[in-house]
Amino acid sequence: MSGTPARYGMVIDLDRCTGCGACMVACAAENNVAPTPQATPRTGVTPMLVRKVSNGMHGATRRETFIPIMCMHCEHETPCVKVCPQQAVEVDKATGIVMQMPQRCLGCRYCMTACPYHARYFNWRDPVWPAGMEKSLNPGVATRMRGVVEKCNLCHARLHSANEKAAAAGRREIDMADYVPACGEACPTNAIHFGNLADQNDPVTREAHSANAFRMLARIGTEPKVYYKSKDPWVRALAESASGPGKFSERPAERLAASASEVHHG
Amino acid sequence: MKVTRRDLLVWGAGAAAGIAFTPVPWKILDDVSIWSQNWSWIPQPARGPVEVKQSFCTLCPNGCGLRVRTGAGWPVGIAGMSTHPITRGALCPLAFAAHQLNWHPQRLRAVRHQSSTSSWAAAQAAFSKACSEGKVVVIDGYAGRAASQIFEAFAEKRGSYRVAASPETRALAPYESWSGVPANALGYDLENAQTVVSFGAPMLDGWGAPGRFTRLWAERAAGMADPQLRLIQIDASLTRTATKAWQWISIRPGTEDALVAGAARFLLEEHLVPANGPMPPLTLVDAASQTGLTTDAIRNLARTIVAKPPVVAIAGGNNPAVAALNVALGALGQTGGIVLRSKQKKVYESADAVIPKARAVVIDSTVPWDFVPRTDAEIFRFAAWDGGSNKAEWLLPAPGFLEELTDVPTAPTSAVETYAVAPAVAKPTAEVHSAAQFLASFDAELNSTDKIIHARCEEIFRARAGSLYGRETTPVAQVASAQKLEEQLRSGAVWVGEPLKTASLKSNLLKCNLKEWPADTRPERSEDWAAEWPAPVLPPLALKLYQESSLREPPERKTV
Amino acid sequence: MKMQRTIVVFALGVAVALLAGWVAFPRALYLQKQQPLEFRHKTHAEKSGVADCNECHALRDDGTFAGLPAMEKCAGCHSERIGTSNAEATLVDTYIKPGNETPWLVYAQQPANVWFSHAIHVKRAGLTCTECHSTYGESDQVKLYEVNRISGYSRDIWGHSISRLRRAPHDGMKMSDCEECHRKHQVEVGCLGCHE
Repeated sequence: MSGTPARYGMVIDLDRCTGCGACMVACAAENNVAPTPQATPRTGVTPMLVRKVSNGMHGATRRETFIPIMCMHCEHETPCVKVCPQQAVEVDKATGIVMQMPQRCLGCRYCMTACPYHARYFNWRDPVWPAGMEKSLNPGVATRMRGVVEKCNLCHARLHSANEKAAAAGRREIDMADYVPACGEACPTNAIHFGNLADQNDPVTREAHSANAFRMLARIGTEPKVYYKSKDPWVRALAESASGPGKFSERPAERLAASASEVHHG
Repeated sequence: MKVTRRDLLVWGAGAAAGIAFTPVPWKILDDVSIWSQNWSWIPQPARGPVEVKQSFCTLCPNGCGLRVRTGAGWPVGIAGMSTHPITRGALCPLAFAAHQLNWHPQRLRAVRHQSSTSSWAAAQAAFSKACSEGKVVVIDGYAGRAASQIFEAFAEKRGSYRVAASPETRALAPYESWSGVPANALGYDLENAQTVVSFGAPMLDGWGAPGRFTRLWAERAAGMADPQLRLIQIDASLTRTATKAWQWISIRPGTEDALVAGAARFLLEEHLVPANGPMPPLTLVDAASQTGLTTDAIRNLARTIVAKPPVVAIAGGNNPAVAALNVALGALGQTGGIVLRSKQKKVYESADAVIPKARAVVIDSTVPWDFVPRTDAEIFRFAAWDGGSNKAEWLLPAPGFLEELTDVPTAPTSAVETYAVAPAVAKPTAEVHSAAQFLASFDAELNSTDKIIHARCEEIFRARAGSLYGRETTPVAQVASAQKLEEQLRSGAVWVGEPLKTASLKSNLLKCNLKEWPADTRPERSEDWAAEWPAPVLPPLALKLYQESSLREPPERKTV
Repeated sequence: MKMQRTIVVFALGVAVALLAGWVAFPRALYLQKQQPLEFRHKTHAEKSGVADCNECHALRDDGTFAGLPAMEKCAGCHSERIGTSNAEATLVDTYIKPGNETPWLVYAQQPANVWFSHAIHVKRAGLTCTECHSTYGESDQVKLYEVNRISGYSRDIWGHSISRLRRAPHDGMKMSDCEECHRKHQVEVGCLGCHE
């Protein structure tokens, strides 16, 4: 990589997200995640996970929305980097991507505990594909073995291709049209906008600083590079709620006590 | 000199000390660490060049454009086709893992006869016998293809041809019965609508091609307090569409018809709509008590519906009451409403009707798995995946995802005619034959899919109408030759016809012969995205959406 | 007396270990394998005027490296026999005519999680082929392929020298070799710069 370091990030428009899940499937396909018919929400590997949350009301005033969660690529005091005993995860200086290296991971899962966004997943088993399905694996991404943690790496295989293409054409900078993560490419409503937050001219940078943009759990100071935006105040309020975009809850913690029977158990 | 045990130990100590000064321990450590990171049972992707091919998804009649990455000759990744004028790069969640479907454990790889393995020869013999003994009915789940033409030609001589239509097309059935214009010739002009009232249709979650309405909505309504496109969703519970709609009206389940009647009555009585009748028999008070809304709420809804025209009402399936509302709203044949898109006159017989005495029934692989024809005939069921219990006598392995050349007729909801050709991108790994190939083998006069596609390309060229959308957009009038047009179509371009000016056509659509409000309609329940999926299996990675997360409820299907 | 005997026996142990470790071990560790054909670079350079590595080992349009050329490339000239060697006979009869890819054993094969871009190193960094691949392009015999019995990779990855002392610059393609060159040229890349 060359020139000014990039800070790749996203702005996800929650008003456009319809919770279809295309980003989840595209991410799993791009990253060669094995189909796991026995998995549950606790054991599954979903580097991109869309959570359904509500405003806590019932009846005609109830509203739900969908929040795609993946690694936030925290810039400040990145929690997983601080706790890893193996240096299996690092913040890349050139791109800002928090790089998870399953090859170095020893599977202690300390990073999973440390991540405030529950965005890391453990491979409980070796990946198994039905006979012949391994021919459908994406060539840019190596498969992992059991016992290691994985997470979103911002489709770095696509960054590799973009970089290689630029080098072959004699350019030092990549063309951003060549580097679109699978989730952004898949979204049918174009809710996921990917860009370089270090580039002042990138429309994503402007969006990230717009009035309705916010980040999850901003108060803990991890400086995530994934921004969200919504016109609805109740959605923006979810970002700071006690349980945050908690893995198994579907509503702000304050309302959990009110109707415990409706909490979905993973 | 006797060699003692002590000698051995001292020698051993020397050897141990010596080994440390050789590469042995260090090299073995390094090699073992490499070995332990490369377990042979964990597959890795194939190496080799990656190519990108264009094709179209044929798993449902929407025919979304695809870009398929292939590695070592096999599809390894799917993305949308951004140049497709209708779908504009959008795909449903299933498409992204569809390239793995061909290796699904339930893939049908051998002919089965009454739950035991058989052969193509046996199936052909049985079918040949059946043909000689009586009528054959062919059921098609995706009308308008080249294969469909083969079915029709076969059925013309030997029996009858029926279509199991998608819910978006079934919703157009009332207009067909009132005006005689085939449902396949009608479309929804959503691009020009400013208000869309959906009675249980999953507009943002499986209605039509994903790019069609969701993109329009995303660009004109999402996140806006006063959107250009107003989506009013009538749903008993908070569906995905309801939660994102501009307005959500919650009614008691199954009372859509009452709401439609109530709103229509108010609009007609107050002359808020151009039509004069027919008048629904239900009063506003009855409508209110049935739906659980107040009469004021129904009045407000009615006023809102017509506040920002053009308006179109959409139902989740065949719902004559909603169709009658469109008649009252004057949405028929008008910009922003239900429009005529082709001059086709042929009305297809629906596969839902009882099948008269037939000796054999051929069901194409495009018909949903849980479609059960009401017949005693011998059923020859073509399918790429085995969905479990099925009363068909014969299960015949058909080509799977992108395994055969086929074409893509106009998508069910489109307001203009479109045409595309979907080349094969994957090789079948078992002996498979499509229903069209099977039937063609019995009748030398039937053309092959390839020849029919060629003929259609020529037709499009001769008509000199419409445009080709590929890397550039070219009007057909400017394409040099029929061969060039066919080349473009066979490499992923989409032909889009010109919108028909319904008013100037003096079509029967405008004179919808509706004497009285539809009664006793038994409307269809709207189906979610996965339930209408013809294949009995979902791509394995789609499990992430409901098993490995709480994003969705598991799809209600007979088998998965 | 006893001490002298102890020393001698100990020294004997050390000697045997050193011999085993330095001589026998490298021989036992590697298994020699035959390439499917006796390919001669020199013959091709001389007889067919293929002077540039890029003619067969080219960058594709999207920037990826073709590596060992596909059978298609060989078929460009060898669709029928044009010479007299046995190697060519095997090529045409066993691979080109039936349409099979030649199963070359790749000396530089890296594990699946390694990503190396020829485009970046050749075009951006200006490296020449010989800097990493030596003068193999001028050789008149096919190089011996030795596979490490434990790790399964070619001997060329570790390098021929078992001790890795006084190693030639192009002898060895382990991660530490890549790191060394990157350090020398002060090109910093993060883990994901080279890993998948």
